[in-house]
Parts: sequence; structure tokens; C-alpha cells
Amino acid sequence: MGIYILKRLLLAIPTLLAASIIIFMLIHLAPGGPVRVMLGPAQDAALVEKLRHQLGLDLPLHEQYLRWIDKALHGDLGISVTIQRGASVTELLAQRYATTLELAFLSTVIALLIAIPTGITSALHQNKLADHISRIVAMLGVSIPNFFLGIMMILIVGVFLHQPWGTGGFVPLHKSVRENLIRMLLPSLALGTAYSAIIMRMLRSSMLDVMSQDYVRTARAMGIGWGSIVRQDIVKNALIPVITVIGNSIGYLLGGSIVTETIFRLPGVGGLVITGVFRRDFPVIQGIVLTIVVIRIAVNLLVDILYSIIDPRIRYGEEGK
Amino acid sequence: MSTADIATRTTDVMTPTVARKHRGVLEEVWHNFKKNRLSLAGGVIVMVFIVIAVFAPLLSPYNPVEQFDAPPGEHHPLPPLSRSKEGTFFLFGSDKFGRDILSRAFYGTRTLLQIAISSITIAFVLGVFMGAVAGYWKGSWVDELIMRAVDVMLSFPTLVLAIALLGAFGIGKTHIGPITLSNMFKIAIVIAITYSPRFARVMRGVVLQEMSEDYVDAAKVAGGSGWQILAREILINTIPPLIVQGSLMMATTVLTSASLSFLGLGLQPPRPSLGIMLNESRDFLFLKAWWYPLVPGVFILLIILGFNLLGDGLRDSLDPRQARRTRG
Repeated sequence: MGIYILKRLLLAIPTLLAASIIIFMLIHLAPGGPVRVMLGPAQDAALVEKLRHQLGLDLPLHEQYLRWIDKALHGDLGISVTIQRGASVTELLAQRYATTLELAFLSTVIALLIAIPTGITSALHQNKLADHISRIVAMLGVSIPNFFLGIMMILIVGVFLHQPWGTGGFVPLHKSVRENLIRMLLPSLALGTAYSAIIMRMLRSSMLDVMSQDYVRTARAMGIGWGSIVRQDIVKNALIPVITVIGNSIGYLLGGSIVTETIFRLPGVGGLVITGVFRRDFPVIQGIVLTIVVIRIAVNLLVDILYSIIDPRIRYGEEGK
Repeated sequence: MSTADIATRTTDVMTPTVARKHRGVLEEVWHNFKKNRLSLAGGVIVMVFIVIAVFAPLLSPYNPVEQFDAPPGEHHPLPPLSRSKEGTFFLFGSDKFGRDILSRAFYGTRTLLQIAISSITIAFVLGVFMGAVAGYWKGSWVDELIMRAVDVMLSFPTLVLAIALLGAFGIGKTHIGPITLSNMFKIAIVIAITYSPRFARVMRGVVLQEMSEDYVDAAKVAGGSGWQILAREILINTIPPLIVQGSLMMATTVLTSASLSFLGLGLQPPRPSLGIMLNESRDFLFLKAWWYPLVPGVFILLIILGFNLLGDGLRDSLDPRQARRTRG
């Protein structure tokens, strides 16, 4: 067990390092160099030099990288250049991540609330009406772009039904928990819909898989009631692959939050990265992309470990190699 | 971002095994495909939108950038089935500049599919090459190198990587040394970069599966070089699963490019783009201009739905065993 976890950890480190090099190099992809891009057309040579020096861009490339990654490891992601000149990127992100992570969490809750009952019903009533309906709805759910869904929600709830909470806007959690949750409902629903459709489809096929296993037939033959087989064996086993889907979805949620925060004008990192791109604030873009990748790798690692605890076959399979 | 992030990870569970090879594989596939009405519907939807994209200039009632309400400038969008002061008839309504929404949606479909198809083609070629090489020389340093690179690329959520790359290159035309990239081509390349690792991973798995088949051993005994066997024998057998992946990935590529347009990072106005139309419509929601987001939104939804249904159907018909298990 310990060896497995250690192996996973050791595998994650080079991936993270390579990803950080890519993120670091992004700034140098900018045609004409990052400083000229950031300063725009009216640039004074002295100012360019000053900013280059300030950002450490006059050093050799590898030294720049080492300085950048060393600072990042100590929690310093540099200084915002255009969005809030001189502000620490780490502090900017800390405020914003609260909203983004809340959105991701609420979307997951909503997705599970929708997906688990429908997935189970669908599998238990395979090829009956309920199954057909939920599968068609799931297909639509997977296919609807979240920005379209979000806009239609604002239009219907906010404009046609005159609900003040339906038009976007944000109330911080520490001001009013109730107001915050009400305002987060539509964004979480917009982000969670496609997600719930994915989980539902996964759960359905995994339930069908488990239901065709020998031990289920054996249990039935032994005269154990169907209801208790479903509860104790089928659902429990079918939920295992779903855990992986949930863990792997953190990337989807963080990516999707960029769009969702834009629609509902939420003050999260997603909205910030877009502003960063428009205003060419490279330290902000790099900081956000780096933290997203770190979160994603960490969550995947966690899920892999959790998975190996729940399902020992994985662990032994790996160790047997 | 996309459902593909998850889809790729779960393909381990769902990757189609290649249909058993015997005479009439194509007939068998078609027979299975035909039975599934939903996938037929998907095929029809995809065909309809390809026709719209190809014949947009013929099908559109008006020029998509022509402003029909004098004087030029922002106007109250007109609802469907209404006429401008000059008598122009708007079947699906007009937008904030008095332009015909239907014509813009047709042209927007054209640009969206142009970007999606060119990026998926580039991603396909890159990914298939990487995956084939990695799979055939499994365990070699080339395999290690390619697959580690794929892992690194996949640690970025798709949309995040695309945004980061666009952020670096900047929006609009890009000059890289002496080469000038058009905005559209640049977007296609950025999306292709983010999707090629997915193809590589699928391709590697498929090649590994094929490698265990007798015909590969036979070809080796017959004295073919690695490249020859790969190109002449294996590649042809990897086509069916790649088509399935291609169709499913078309859905997510369409979503990614529409998302980029919506965020203002894709095509730039006044080029007709479904994503931009949705973005613009946000300023007119309070005027109850429901047609403004509805038309481009439904277009994007249907295109994605079409490719998803088609991909699902193809997967089931190429792998009847799994289809029977999950469909009963």
C-alpha cells in the first residue's frame, strides 16, 4: 500500500515539473517578447528595460525559470502587471479561489443529487420508459454548452420570472450565507448539468455491468431479496468507477468555471484569467494556470489512492508489474 | 474544458474493442448502426449542418454582415417574423446592428465547423503518429518520452490550456517571425495542440491491441520493417476505433471553439460566429430578446448533439458485444 502511494507520488512530480516549464515558457511565446506586449504600442526604451529587469527577464532563461519556480514553491506567484499594478498575484488568487472552489463544490453536489437517483433508476428499469427518457435527457445534458444553458437560465428566471437572484451578481459567503447560496444556485446548475449527465451515464453502465456479474446471480439464487442486493451489492460496487469520474472532473469543473463565471459575472479565477488574457497580465495568467494544474494533479492523485484503498485489485495489479 | 477530459480518462473502461475481422465487417457495422435510430438521427443532424456550412452563401437570405436598419449603430433587436423599416424580412429576428440572425447563424455554423474540422484533422494526424510510434515500440525510450509528454499535456484542462496558449500568442492575427498566422488558423492550431494527446493515447492502446494479433507476427516473420508493418498492416485496422473517437471528439472540439468565441478569444467581430452571437445577446436579455441567444445556442447544441449521437452509435455498432451488454 505504502509503496503504491509512494510510486504515484513520484510519478506526479516530473509531470508537475514539466507542466511548470510549459507554463513558464508561455510568457516567451508572446511575439516580440512579453514586455513589449504588456506595455502596448507606446513604449519607451527605458521603461521596457526597467520592467524587464523588474520581472527578471534580463536573466538567462534557466535562471529565470529557477527563480520563478523557487518563488512559486514558496507561495509567491509574482506581481500583477496590468490588472492591479503591483498587487501580489497570490493574494489576488486567494480571494478569487474561494468563489471558484465554492462553485466547483456546489456543482458537484448538484450533479450527484441529479445523477445518482436517475442513474440507478435508469439501470434498474433498463430499456423501459424511465430509462429511455433519462438517457435522452442525459444526452441533451452532455451536449448543451454551459454558456447557452446559463444565458437561458438568466433569461427565464431573471427576466421572464422577475427573480432578482436570477440575473447573476454575487454576494460573498461571509456577508450572507443564504444570499450567497441563492445567487450561486443558477451558476452551479449551469456548470453541474453536463457533469451530472456524465456521472449518470457512467453510473448506469457500471450498474448494468455489476448486475450481470455472477455473484449477483448467486445472491439471487440464494433467495436474497432483490432490494437488498441492489442496496448492498450493486449500488455499492457500481459507485466505485463513479469516484474516478468525479476525481477526474476537477479539470472539467475548473475549465467550465471560466465560462460560468463570465456568464454570471462571478468574482472567481475564471473571470480573472480572461481579464488577464485581454490585458496581457502574464504573471496572473501563469499563476492561475499553474494553480489549476497543481489542483488537478493533486486531486487525481488523491482519487487514485482512494481508489486503490476501495478496490485492492488495482494496487496488486500495479505491484505485480 | 470539456466532457472529453472525463471521457478520455474513462475510455479505459469504454474503449471499443475492434470489431472481429471476418468478411463483411462494413455490412455488419452498417447493419448494427441502422438498427439504432438515435445514431441515425445523429448522422442526419451532422449531415444537415455540414450542408448548411458548405452552402451557407447560397442558403443565407442576406449578407451576414449587412446592417439593415439605418442609421448604422446599435438598435433594438427585432423579433422573429418581423420586418425592418426598409422591409427586410427577418425569419429568426435581427441582432443589435440590424443584421439577419438566420444568415449570421448559417455563416457562424460555417466558421465553427471550419475551425473544428481543421483542428481535429491536425490533432488526428499528430496524435495518430505519436500514438502509433509509442505503441509499436512499446517500452522503448521513444514510447516513454511520448507518453510522458502526453501525460503532461493532459494535466492541463483543455479549455485552460487553449486559453493559456491564446493568451501567450495574443488575440487576432499573429506574426511568428516571418510567418503570419490568420486568427482562424491560429485558433485551429491551438485547439489541435490541446486535443492531439487524446488521440495519441487512444491510438497507442489500439496499436497495442493489434500487436497481439497473429497477422502482425506473420508480417514480422515475413521480414517487414517496423515502419512497413505499422503503415501497411496495423494502421488500416486502427481506423474503426479512431473514427469513433474522432466523432466524439468533434463534439468536444466544437464546444471548445464555441466557448473560446463566447469568451471573446476566438474569431473577432464582425465575423459571424455562434459563440460571439451568444456573448452579444447577454446585453439584450433584459429587453426580452429571447431569439438572440436561442438561435445560435440551439445551432451549437444540435451540432454537438449530432456528433455525440453519431459517435455513440458508431461505437456500439463497431463493438456489438459491449452494445448488447449496456443496451440489453
